[in-house]
Amino acid sequence: MPTQILQIAFIQKYLCKMFTLQTWIVQALFIFLTTESIGELIVPCAHIHPESSVVQLGSNFTAVCVLKEKCMDDYHVTANDIFWKTGRVPVPYEQYSVINRTASSVTFPNITLINALLTCNIRMFGQINRSVYGIRIISGLPPEKPKNLSCIVNEGKKMMCQWDPGRETYLETNYTLKSEWATEKFDDCKAKRDTPTSCTVDYPPVYFVNIEVWVEAENALGKVTSDHINFDPVDKVKLNPPHILSVNSSKELSSILKLTWTDSRFKSFITLKYDIQYRTKDASTWNQVPPEDTSSTRSSFTVQDLKPFTEYVFRIRCMKEDGKGYWSDWSEEASGITYEDRPSKAPNFWYKIEPSHAHGTRSIQLKWKTLPPFEANGKILDYEVTLTKWKSHSQNYTVKDTKLTVNLTNDRYVATLTARNLVGKSDASVLTIPAWDFQATHPITDLKAFPKDNVLWVEWTAPNESVNRYILEWCVLSDKSPCIPDWQQEDGTVHRTYLRGNLVESKCYLITVTPVYDDGPGSPKHIKAYLKQAAPSRGPTVRTKKVGKNEAVLEWDHLPIDVQNGFIRNYTIFYRTVIGNEIAVNVDSSHTEYTLSSLTSDTLYMVRMAAYTDEGGKDGPEFTFTTPKFAQGEIEAIVVPVCLAFLLTTLLGVLFCFNKRDLIKKHIWPNVPDPSKSHIAQWSPHTPPRHFNSKDQMYPDGNFTDVSVVEIEANDKKPFPEDLKSLDLFKKEKVNTEGHSSGIGGSSCMSSSRPSISSSDENESAQNTSSTVQYSTVVHSGYRHQVPSVQVFSRSESTQPLLDSEERPEDLQLVDNVDGSDGILPRQRYFKQNCSQHETSPDISHFERSQQVSSVNEEDFVRLKQQQISDHISQPYGSGKMKMFQEVPAVDAFGPGIEGQVERFETVGMEDAVDEGMPKSYLPQTVRRGGYMPQ
Amino acid sequence: MRAQRMQRTLLSLVLRLLLLCTVATGKCSGKYHELLLQLQRQADLMQDPSTLLDPYIHLQGLHSPVLQEHCRERPGDFPSEDALWRLSRQDFLQTLNTTLGLILRMLSALQQDLPEAAHQQAEMNVRGFGNNIHCMAQLLRGSSDPKAAEPTQPGPGPTPLPPTPPSSTFQRKLRNCGFLRGYHRFMRTAGQVLRGWGERQGRSRRHSPCRALKRGARRTRPFPEIRRLAPRGQPPR
Repeated sequence: MPTQILQIAFIQKYLCKMFTLQTWIVQALFIFLTTESIGELIVPCAHIHPESSVVQLGSNFTAVCVLKEKCMDDYHVTANDIFWKTGRVPVPYEQYSVINRTASSVTFPNITLINALLTCNIRMFGQINRSVYGIRIISGLPPEKPKNLSCIVNEGKKMMCQWDPGRETYLETNYTLKSEWATEKFDDCKAKRDTPTSCTVDYPPVYFVNIEVWVEAENALGKVTSDHINFDPVDKVKLNPPHILSVNSSKELSSILKLTWTDSRFKSFITLKYDIQYRTKDASTWNQVPPEDTSSTRSSFTVQDLKPFTEYVFRIRCMKEDGKGYWSDWSEEASGITYEDRPSKAPNFWYKIEPSHAHGTRSIQLKWKTLPPFEANGKILDYEVTLTKWKSHSQNYTVKDTKLTVNLTNDRYVATLTARNLVGKSDASVLTIPAWDFQATHPITDLKAFPKDNVLWVEWTAPNESVNRYILEWCVLSDKSPCIPDWQQEDGTVHRTYLRGNLVESKCYLITVTPVYDDGPGSPKHIKAYLKQAAPSRGPTVRTKKVGKNEAVLEWDHLPIDVQNGFIRNYTIFYRTVIGNEIAVNVDSSHTEYTLSSLTSDTLYMVRMAAYTDEGGKDGPEFTFTTPKFAQGEIEAIVVPVCLAFLLTTLLGVLFCFNKRDLIKKHIWPNVPDPSKSHIAQWSPHTPPRHFNSKDQMYPDGNFTDVSVVEIEANDKKPFPEDLKSLDLFKKEKVNTEGHSSGIGGSSCMSSSRPSISSSDENESAQNTSSTVQYSTVVHSGYRHQVPSVQVFSRSESTQPLLDSEERPEDLQLVDNVDGSDGILPRQRYFKQNCSQHETSPDISHFERSQQVSSVNEEDFVRLKQQQISDHISQPYGSGKMKMFQEVPAVDAFGPGIEGQVERFETVGMEDAVDEGMPKSYLPQTVRRGGYMPQ
Repeated sequence: MRAQRMQRTLLSLVLRLLLLCTVATGKCSGKYHELLLQLQRQADLMQDPSTLLDPYIHLQGLHSPVLQEHCRERPGDFPSEDALWRLSRQDFLQTLNTTLGLILRMLSALQQDLPEAAHQQAEMNVRGFGNNIHCMAQLLRGSSDPKAAEPTQPGPGPTPLPPTPPSSTFQRKLRNCGFLRGYHRFMRTAGQVLRGWGERQGRSRRHSPCRALKRGARRTRPFPEIRRLAPRGQPPR
C-alpha cells in the first residue's frame, strides 16, 4: 500500500508537469495511476462523462465522475468523497451534485475561454487526496461560414483562392478549398496554418472550363461550408504583362512616338484590352492614352501630341477585353525621344556695358539665355547675332556660347539674336542698345519681393508707357564676394513672376527690375529680399561707449550681411547684475547705440545683445562693465570747493598772519638780539645819567633786572639827511653812553636810553659769530658808577638762530633811511621790526594788551601806571623785545615776578606811545616813517 | 435502354422548361452559347502545337526538317474532318468524347516523353474539354430537338485505337510525333465544326440558345467559307 501511495504521489507530481498534454495522454496516465498494483491489468478507478472535452463558449458544461465499486470498497469512499479540480484549483462545492452513491457531477455555467485539465479526485481515509480520472476541457467557437471567396489565376501559375474566415474560433480550425468540374472532383486544397485564408490548388488551370469552388471550415465544434462559386478560370486570369519591344520616333512628325509590344498567348483565344501610360522623362505623373483607343487586341500603338525632341517613358498593361479578370502588372518602362523641331521661341536677350578705356567706344557684353528644351525643340547648334548701327552695315556673329562681347561706338545699335538647331532657326530676339548719352526714364513702381511656395516672387506696377519686356536681375549681397548677377526676361504684360534661378535660403538678394522700351532700357528699380529668412548666425557684439554712475551708453555695429540671414527687425538688449534679474530692452534695428538708465552705481553689469529676424534671434557675446561710484565731475564738485575753501582759508590765514605777523612773531618767534654782536666793550660811557635815573626811579631798590645791549649796524644805503642827523646824534649819544653799558644782551627798547650802535669794523666780528649766538644777560649789577643790588651775570647757552636780515628787506629800507652806512644794516633792522609793529596795528595791540592786563593782578597794573606816569623816559615800544626775553628759557631764572614786571612795563610804555603822542619819543620824528629807531 | 434515355430526356426537358431553360445541368453551364464558345476556344487552345507537339519534338530531338517530314499523322488515328462534319451534334460530341479518351491514354503513355508541365497541362485540357463535351451533350440531350442526338449518317468509322507499339524507339518517337500532330489537327477540325455550330446558331437566332436547342442541331454541311478556311494537307482517309 505505501508503495502504491508513493507511486500515486509521483504520478500526481508528474501530472502537474504534463499539464498541457492532450486529453488522451492524460487519460492514459490516469489509467496507469489507478492501477491497484504493479503487474495487474490497468483498470481506472473511475471515469468521467463525457469524454469530449471541447466546449462551446457561453454554454453550460456538466461532467459526471463515476466511481467503480472495487475502488469504493478498497478505499472506502463514496461519491460524497469526490471533489473536482480545474488544474490545481478546486472547484467550489456549490457546483457539485452527488447523483448517487457512486456518481458526482460538476457544472460550469456559461463557460468562458478555457483550456484546462478537469480532474475527478477522491479523499481517502479522510485525509489522503487522490486523482482518479481527468479530462482536458477546451472552450471555443464553431467556425463561421467563410465569406468573400475569390480566386485568381496568374498566367502560367496555378489557381489561388482566398476567403474571409470570419470570427476567431479559439480552436484549431481547418479550412479546405474544394473544387470540381461537372465530371470530376479535384483533390482538396488544405490551407496551411500560417495562411488559413488562402490556398493554391495543385492542378494547372484549365481555361474555358467552368469550375465550382467552395471552402469548408471545420473544427471540433462543427463544420461549415461557404457559398459555391462557379466560374471559368479565364475570367479570373491575371495575364503576364506585355513586353515593350520598341519606341520609335518619326522624322515626318516630331509629335508622335510608336510603341510596339508582345503580350500573352491568350490574345490568340481571347480579346485583350490595354492600358498605356506615358510621361516625360523628368515628370512624375503619367498621362493616360484614352482607353477606347486600346480596347482591342493589338501589338502596337502610336502616341500623338507629344513635344518635339522630348524623351518620353511608356508602360503598358493588359487584361481581358470584357473586364473579367485582373489587370496585368505594368510592363517594364521603355523610353523614346521625339524628333526635333525648329526652336519655338526666341532666346531671352540682354546686355551689359563693361568699362572700357578706349575713348569713344564702349565694350558691350551681349548675353542670352539658353532655350529650355521645350522651346529649343532640339539641340541648339549655335546662335546668330546681328548688330546694326543706324544707317550702317550690319555685323554678323555666329556664337556657340551664350554671350558675346563687342566694342561699339557710342552710337545707338540694334542687336538681333536667333537660335538654330538641326531643323531650323528660331524667331529673332531684338534688343536696342541706346547711345551713350541716353537718359533712362520711366521706371516701374511699387516693386515688391516676397517668398511664396519656396520661390521668390517679384511684383511691380507697370509704368504708364508701353513696355516691351522686363529684365529682372538679381545677385547675392555679401561682404565676401562680389555681386554676380543672374537675370531673366519677362514679357511686357507680366507684372508678377518668380526668380527662376537656384536661389539659396538665408541669403540676401538684391533684385533689380528694368523695363525695356522701344528706344532702350528704362530706369531700374532695386529691392532686397530673402527666399527664406533664418535667425542670424551670430549676435551683435555690444560694448560701452560711455559709462556713468547711473547710466551706460551701449553701442554696437550692424551685423555683416553674411551673418544676418534675414532682415534684422529689432535688437534686444539683456542686462543684469550678478544677483539681479535680467532686464530686456527692445531696440529698433536702425539704432547702433542705446542708453541704459537707472543703473546702480558701483555695480557690475552683464549685458548681451540679440538680433532678431522674422525667423528668430541670436545672442551675441556677453559684455560686462562696472558703473563708477561717482559721476563724472562729482569728485571735482567736491574737491574743488574744498580746495578752494581750504585755499581761501589758508589765504585768509596767511593774510591774517600777515596782518598779525608781528603779534605772531612776538609769540612764537620773538626777535632775539644777537649777543654775538653786542659790544660791551664799546658801551657808550656818555649815556645820559637820567636814563639810569629813571631806572632808579623804577627800581628804587636796585632790582632793575637786566639791560640788554644790542649792537645795531645801520645800513648806509640811501641815507636821508634827517636820518643821518639822528644817526649822528645817535652815535654821539652812543659814544656817551658806551661806558655805561653792561655789555651783553638786553632789549633794545629797554635799553633805548643807552643804545649801542656798532661801528663797521665791529660788524665784522659780529658776522664771525653769527652761526652760533650766545645770548648773554647782563644783570643790572651796577656798572662803573652804579652798584646793582644783585649782580648776576649769566651767559646764555641758547642756540636759537639769529634773525636773518633777509627776512625783512623793508627793514633794510628803513635802515637805509636811518643810516646810510652799510655796516650797520642788520642791527638796525631789529629796531625797525620791533617798533613798527605797534604802529601798524595799534588796535590789536590794545586788545592783547587788555588781555594781558586782565591776566595780571590789579596791583601790578596800578603800579605800572604809576611808573609810566612818573617815568617819561620809559620806552613804550620795547615791549616786544621784552616779551621775547620772557619767552627764552633763560627768563625762567628770573621767576614770574620779574617777568610780570617786565611785561607790564612794556605794555604801559606802548600805550604811552599811542596816547601821549610823538613828543614823548626821543628820536627825531623823521624816523617814525619807516620804523622806530632805538632811543 | 434508348427508351429509358428518352424518358430521362423528356423529364429533363420538362424540368428545364419549368425553370425557363436556365437551370444548369449539375456543375455545367446552362448557357448553350457560352458553352459552345468555351468549346470553340478550348479547341483553339488545344490545336496549338506549342502546347504539346512542339515540346515533344524539342524534347525528343525531332526538330530537324527531315524528321519533321516523317512526323505525320497516321490515317485512322483520328476522325477525318469530313466525317466530323457529317456527324450529328450528339454523335459529334460522342466522337469527340471517345477520341479524347484515346488521347488521354496516349498521353499517359507519353508521360515520360513530354515535359511534365506540358503533359500535365495537356492532360488537364483534354479532361476539361471532355467535361465541356459532357455538359454540351447534357445540354443537347435536354433539348426538344429530336434530331439533336440523332445521327443522320453513320459515325466516323471505327473508334481510333491507340497507336500500335513501334518496332524501334525512333519509330516509336515518330509514331508518337505523328499522333500528336494528328491530335492538334483533330482539335483544330473540332473547333471548326464547333464554330459551324455557332454560325448556324447566329443565323437562326442569335440570342436564344434555348430556342436554338429546341430547333435541334440539324446535320448540315459546313459553310463553304469555313471549309475553305480549314487547313489543307489533311491526312488521307
